Amino acid sequence: MNKGQFIEKLNDALKRLPSSEREDIINDFEEHFEIGLSEGKTEQEIAASLGSPQQIAKEMIVTYRLEQVEETASTGNIFRAVWAVIGLGFFNLVIVLGPFIALLGILFSGWVIGVTFLLNPVLYLLNVVIYPEVFELYGLFFTIALCGLGIFVIIGMYYVTRWLFKGFIRYLNFNVRMVKGGMKDA
Amino acid sequence: MLNVQFKKGVLELCVLVLLDRQDRYGYELVQKISDQIAISEGTVYPLLRRLTKEGYFTTYLKESSEGPSRKYYALTDEGRQYLHELLREWDEFTNGVNELIKEGVSDE
Repeated sequence: MNKGQFIEKLNDALKRLPSSEREDIINDFEEHFEIGLSEGKTEQEIAASLGSPQQIAKEMIVTYRLEQVEETASTGNIFRAVWAVIGLGFFNLVIVLGPFIALLGILFSGWVIGVTFLLNPVLYLLNVVIYPEVFELYGLFFTIALCGLGIFVIIGMYYVTRWLFKGFIRYLNFNVRMVKGGMKDA
Repeated sequence: MLNVQFKKGVLELCVLVLLDRQDRYGYELVQKISDQIAISEGTVYPLLRRLTKEGYFTTYLKESSEGPSRKYYALTDEGRQYLHELLREWDEFTNGVNELIKEGVSDE
């Protein structure tokens, strides 16, 4: 691979990044090639020791995605960041995707419980309309209590969700810092 | 070679150490590290970018006598603090391992 091919591949793999970000990255590698050439190395030698442009691009994208998530922790940003980290390699697929699915499972069930409790009076009323003969006062109190509990569960889930996502982003950061990459046999 | 999962953190330490005494440009950092450890040189750049974004480095362009200007990396106070933290952890870790090796060897 010569300089042109290397830069082209890198640029290609980075096309999802904003152009200012991408140009900045490309500049660093142009500079790297230029200094290497001035030291008497060939373009091929330099490209070979740099390694795979696709792998470099993946790492760059992860850095960018994690930065985005820290700026605004929207659901879309979190998913994009998780996706980018998983893309780094098979090992990350296992140690990132597993916990992430578990996390989503916990959050999903929590929200479902909250919403069901909250909507319980609706179900109760529906029941009363359909079977008016089974109306019981204790059922009414019970359903009102559940509804109240539902409100608390939902408020609780709001904080739990934010807290868990924050924790997971820290876990992603730790992953990017410690796991895999950089070394020749990595 | 050490477990790959461990090396990435070490690479970070290497870059920080190299910048402790003087500012350096990217190519220089890459060469210094790859002189000592087998690395894919290209992965140093994502690392530099990340640490810059986290506020551990600042960068500036400086003219060079041969050819175009170069991007220099300088350690910030925050970066220096982080370096000392990592160095302390590294010392603790290597001391522990060395101690175990010593004990292991004298047992035989």
